[in-house]
Amino acid sequence: MVELQQGTGKREPDAGFFPPAGPRTIEVTHVSKWYGDVVAVADVTFAVGPGVTGLLGPNGAGKSTILKMLAGLIAPSIGTIRVLDQPVRANPALYRRIGLVPEQETIYPFLTGREFVRLNAVLQHLPDPDDATTRAIARVDMLAAADRAIGGYSKGMRQRIKIAAALVHEPELLILDEPLTGTDPLQRLQLIRLIRELGAEGRTVIVSSHVLHEVERLADQILVLVNGKLAAAGDYRAIRDKMDEHARRVRVRAADPRRFAAALIQLPTLESVHIDGDALVVETNDVRSFYRAVPKIARDQGIRLYEVTALDDSLASVFAYVTAR
Amino acid sequence: MMSLSRRAPILWLTLRQFRAGRATWLAALFAATPILLAVIHRLGSRSVSDAEFLANLFLEVLAPTVVPLATLMLATNALGNELADRTVPYLLLKPIARARIVVEKFLASALVTSLTLAVGLLVTWAVASSGAERSSRMLAALLGGTLAGMLAYGALFMLISLLIQRALLVGIIYALIWESALARFIPGVKLLSIRHFSQSVFVRLLDDPTVTLDRALQLPSALAVLVVVTVAALTVASLLLRRINAA
Repeated sequence: MVELQQGTGKREPDAGFFPPAGPRTIEVTHVSKWYGDVVAVADVTFAVGPGVTGLLGPNGAGKSTILKMLAGLIAPSIGTIRVLDQPVRANPALYRRIGLVPEQETIYPFLTGREFVRLNAVLQHLPDPDDATTRAIARVDMLAAADRAIGGYSKGMRQRIKIAAALVHEPELLILDEPLTGTDPLQRLQLIRLIRELGAEGRTVIVSSHVLHEVERLADQILVLVNGKLAAAGDYRAIRDKMDEHARRVRVRAADPRRFAAALIQLPTLESVHIDGDALVVETNDVRSFYRAVPKIARDQGIRLYEVTALDDSLASVFAYVTAR
Repeated sequence: MMSLSRRAPILWLTLRQFRAGRATWLAALFAATPILLAVIHRLGSRSVSDAEFLANLFLEVLAPTVVPLATLMLATNALGNELADRTVPYLLLKPIARARIVVEKFLASALVTSLTLAVGLLVTWAVASSGAERSSRMLAALLGGTLAGMLAYGALFMLISLLIQRALLVGIIYALIWESALARFIPGVKLLSIRHFSQSVFVRLLDDPTVTLDRALQLPSALAVLVVVTVAALTVASLLLRRINAA
């Protein structure tokens, strides 16, 4: 595993990622999970403390399997998982302190949003389930649609009502499996704000996603899973900084590509440039200074700039980077 | 309904599931089948007495097919659908005993199945018998034998739905092949079938010397076996739910 944190966390014996000193809500020790011959999770060790932690990985990396094991829904093939200092499997009393938003969209379509959240409140033995229900629904901004049947909800509304149901008992640990799937940009913004608020309140929030920029806005700490293995872990900015130290490819579309290429070649951070149709593909070893320089050069040269797009600013490139190290 | 949703939330949820799904209609369809036979009996030549018709109806149609199939529809649906639809985490990730989930699910399925079967039986009894032949003892025997069988089948089928994805198919095979076909040819199988015990309950409650059943158990023994099967199946289901991998 590559550890990309910058002096905040500590590396403990036997590999794995451990957060800085402080409470550890989740401790995963040498956990593997396989289904027949297929290995879903391979010897993963990490710990997570309060705040928001992103679990990042491409589809099929094992994120949902890990989250289900953290919630006690499935048992690891080997290894141990402790949540809030207790074994999580076959320990129903612990669920008073845990909330899970599962990935699957299916919720009881015949219930209204309010009935669904209230059902969760009653099953959590809350003294005033109606009040808790209203507060949780208000928190995800769903009061207006709360009395409509879930079967008629959009994807984003279903995600929000699932989050309300997971929040209704104010859990210390919140596990969110791809919570932003299907939400529109405004809903996404609201949910990101909510998730950050929950982390700031001192709860432990673990959020999975396969979308890099989502995690960038959500979490400070990340765990990167590739092929069931923990490929990187630590501070998100450290990963970005490390990535920025390596050559990155950028596509630039401008009015006069040949003249613009001749102007760009003067940049000391430029490693190569070639013309690809009406665009330039540039390789730079300092993408941030390149982004700052491009508009200035275009203005100085009087060349209209249409587009600047990072070609490898994707999750795949993060994985390629962390796995190549 | 609001207090039920607070006192027995899983029972309430399951009743709402049944109201929204097709399983209740299928169970009602099976439960209504004997009414058609009663109408034919009423309109027919009346070569057998009403009591004889109703006794044969229970022993040959209700106990072997109608009761298990109507029960199967709802009992496999109650927990099986939660697993198939992946909604079961909403129940499992709660600080409640697994036995409570199983028992409330079972009670919901038993409540709806017994209501549909009871309505079907009541109408069948009213249509098939008339005048002096309309016996409340016959009605009690029909209801008693049906209810006893339904409870044991319900617990068993719910357990099967936790073990096997195609619980409906397995339940049909169990009811129609194991209990009906094999029991005819292999004597020992009969004593391992819920049907035989529910038939025993019916025969003993009816207490009519003209209605007999090969190797019929006494009423306490038959009821005891059915209770043991029900409790054992629900206990195993609760234990399974503790260890289940809800992937």
